[in-house]
Amino acid sequence: MINSYGSSKGVSRKGGTFARRNLIIALPLIPLIAYLAFFFFWPMVMVVTDSLKNNDHHWSFINFTTITHKPYSTAFKNSILLGALSALFASIPGAIFAYIIEVRGSEKLKGFVTSLSGVLANTGGVPLAFMFIATFGAQGSAIKILKALGIDLYSGGFTLFSFTGIVFVYLYFQIPLMVIIFSPALHSIRNEWRDAAKNLGATPRKFWRTIGVPLLFPSFTASFLLLFASGFAAYATARAMTVGNIALVPLVIGTLVDGNVQVDQANVGKSLAVGMVIVSALAMIPYLIIQRRARRWQQ
Amino acid sequence: MRGKRLVVAATVAALFTTGLVVATAPAQAAGKINYCTAQNLTEAGGMDALVTAAKKEGTLNVITLASGWANYDEAIALFKKAFGIKIVNDNPDGSSAYELQTIKTAPDAKQPDVVDIGATHLGAESSDTLGRSLFTPYKVATWNDITPTWKDTNGLWYGDYQGTINIAYDSSVTPAPTKISDLSNPAYKGMVALGGDPSAATESFMSVFAASIAKGGSVDDIKPGIEFFRSMKQSGNFVTVPATGANLATGAFKIALSWSFNGPGFIQAAKGIGKDLKYVTPKDVVLKGSPYIQAINAKAPHCAAARLWEEFLYSENKGKFSKDLTPADIKQSGSKVFALIMGGQNIFNSGAAHPITEAAMIKKGTLIAPPAGFEIPAGVKVYSPTLDQQIPQQAVVKTMWPSVIQ
Repeated sequence: MINSYGSSKGVSRKGGTFARRNLIIALPLIPLIAYLAFFFFWPMVMVVTDSLKNNDHHWSFINFTTITHKPYSTAFKNSILLGALSALFASIPGAIFAYIIEVRGSEKLKGFVTSLSGVLANTGGVPLAFMFIATFGAQGSAIKILKALGIDLYSGGFTLFSFTGIVFVYLYFQIPLMVIIFSPALHSIRNEWRDAAKNLGATPRKFWRTIGVPLLFPSFTASFLLLFASGFAAYATARAMTVGNIALVPLVIGTLVDGNVQVDQANVGKSLAVGMVIVSALAMIPYLIIQRRARRWQQ
Repeated sequence: MRGKRLVVAATVAALFTTGLVVATAPAQAAGKINYCTAQNLTEAGGMDALVTAAKKEGTLNVITLASGWANYDEAIALFKKAFGIKIVNDNPDGSSAYELQTIKTAPDAKQPDVVDIGATHLGAESSDTLGRSLFTPYKVATWNDITPTWKDTNGLWYGDYQGTINIAYDSSVTPAPTKISDLSNPAYKGMVALGGDPSAATESFMSVFAASIAKGGSVDDIKPGIEFFRSMKQSGNFVTVPATGANLATGAFKIALSWSFNGPGFIQAAKGIGKDLKYVTPKDVVLKGSPYIQAINAKAPHCAAARLWEEFLYSENKGKFSKDLTPADIKQSGSKVFALIMGGQNIFNSGAAHPITEAAMIKKGTLIAPPAGFEIPAGVKVYSPTLDQQIPQQAVVKTMWPSVIQ
């Protein structure tokens, strides 16, 4: 490349432009960084420091000792189980559904399912609880219709306001979430490979066992872990459906920080929050490792 | 020796000067009252001066005064209309914890002038420490009528109203419930609810407490109440859905235990969704909760308005509600307007809360009638567990509740 400005001068000016350009690229990031600092890092630092203080504002590890005992340990057990079960029951049907749509569906159907899933996966909170109470509550419309057909779910022991009920409600947003995050992975199974396997005499069963499943497994696990995190941390829906009968960590934190009955326990709540961060981090580490591996395979 | 004499001389001089200042204070009062340190109406220069100063400030910051709660809606409307002072209500549905957190952390301009907090928060830290660091003392004109157990002797905080645990029910329910112990009636299958989690919400905690006394427990034993809800969970009577308006609309519950002072607001809201909600004071046990606590924030941005608000809330006047107040009424002097309007204690009463000066008001004949359905039936014993009695029972609920009703 010919430099029309002469060598030394040209290089220095070019360097300046380069730095300026980097600065210009970085500028839009400033609001993002400020946002993260205010709403993520700052609260995080506050929560961690407060969790390490007792009620007299002295440094102490007592909150963390407290949360290893009941009822807090039960809350962790319940929340982890809720995250895992809702992820399990959503990931398998979600993956199968995504596969059917991706492989068999027309372009139009694919587009429809994607946008529908986007809407459903983002339905949560109090409206979601209300929808289910109105349809599957003891006096819900679906329950009444089933009763008219001779199926009495509630006399058969079902109740929406139980652990099982919450898992059931969470599937409403977990399955579409699975469809959204798992569909892109399905592109990694190329039709050529399927044809090649067929030509070499592989049955569909053998194709799935030796090629399909191993290829999709990393993405599936990654999706599963994301669903776990989503079910583990959800708050408003469970809160609108229970009155403290199911101890879940996010609900217990709400009770401790904002309740009127036990009022000197806010720092225990913060140590529970740190506990949740740790559980989420533990779930996200394998997610990142697997995701990196999956990307390498898909290239 | 010389030094000592000098000290004596200086002290005498200082005392003399202080005496002079004290003597001249009333003359200066009209012009220079520090409303932020005024501890009673006299120090605030009397009602006319207080109203003028509060009007000059123009705004009152209140916090977490929920719509439909103890008829605070009317208190706010009347205060605004009578004195022309703007009221900013931060986070109406927030909790007492939010109020205290705001005082501790919010910037000066966002500070509330006055708070209304659950009494349990006073028990948490010693009330003295909490009061001294956060509140500033003020004794309203009706100070002597406030129940002695529910006010700080220095005037840092004072109870304002109490609720009773009442039964709220959809009028379609038959038979209409009248006792808490009746709620296990098989006719109420799938109908009975609580407002929230008893280990978080005072209303629900007190509901379980009331049930306990109804089922053979006492103010020192909440377990029979927890057991009662356990048996109702097993029989299917108790549905673990929060007793909110939305859940009432879907029919997810039809009967709930509720603070009396939430009643009129809830009845009104239910009407809006086509439900005829009724309240009844239980005929077996009446449980009166600890009062909510008023206090003036030490960092109040509107010192005069805060003090006028407290005088208004504790006024025992039987006067005009906001809808009856005419423009001519408002044109009068501050003290005349104050004497004309309904006092806050009666406004609480109209919202089915028991004002803290109730006993004195009954004696004076100034108490207006509570809304229908909220009268305490004659001959029913009223229980009111103290904070010292509540605290150990809170621990019991915290450990037992999740496992008992899971």
